[in-house]
Amino acid sequence: MMDRIVTIVPEAGLHARPASKFVETANQFEAELQIAADGEEPVDARSMLGVTSVGAEHGDQVKLIADGEDAEAALDALEKVLTTPEDEYDE
Amino acid sequence: MDQETVDRIISPDLVSLEEPPGEKRAVIEHLLDLIVDAGRVSDREQALEDLLKREEETSTGVGKGIGIPHAKTAGATEPTVAFTRSTDGVDFGAPDGKPATLLFMILVPEGGSDEHLEILSSLSRALMNDQVREDLHTAQSPKEVTSVLTKAIT
Repeated sequence: MMDRIVTIVPEAGLHARPASKFVETANQFEAELQIAADGEEPVDARSMLGVTSVGAEHGDQVKLIADGEDAEAALDALEKVLTTPEDEYDE
Repeated sequence: MDQETVDRIISPDLVSLEEPPGEKRAVIEHLLDLIVDAGRVSDREQALEDLLKREEETSTGVGKGIGIPHAKTAGATEPTVAFTRSTDGVDFGAPDGKPATLLFMILVPEGGSDEHLEILSSLSRALMNDQVREDLHTAQSPKEVTSVLTKAIT
């Protein structure tokens, strides 16, 4: 089990395209992946409902938690989504 | 969210338990009309345009049979949540591929705050609970829906 604190870069926060990209990325890994807002209970990072409930805005910190063989790669990929400005996303 | 805020954004006249249209654009207009009829929209065309713009960016199906079209728009006069439910479900492009049977709309007026995102996250947190979704499916009246939602969100 490993975790990482990440500050959200996209202006939209963890909503709309960044949220959808985040969920899409989380679903590419085998590890169990969770995301938590500061001081809140972690939720499933693969669920759009869960990710929407986090309500993280631009500049907020979130905790990513991963457990499984590809945990580190998953954390790297999710961190990249959260720290890339929206206009730099690949289509 | 506190009770006062929830009472301000949800009321039985914003809930319809009649079968809505089965197609996304039509159901968005259907939910919008509930809000228009409740006197909370000053410019229907503007509100619709902002809702559809948000859908174009990414669809608002969040999975578990839930769709939450939402917008911050100059067409709305106060923060509002509307609700309807569909027997067969409506395709809202959810990542899990499930059609949306529980359909919400969030509209908030233009302004400094991101209240629509606060409402969206509070509502999503409430809807993660299986019992809350079940209660919304079985509620017999608009009043019962608002009481389930109020209890779940506060």
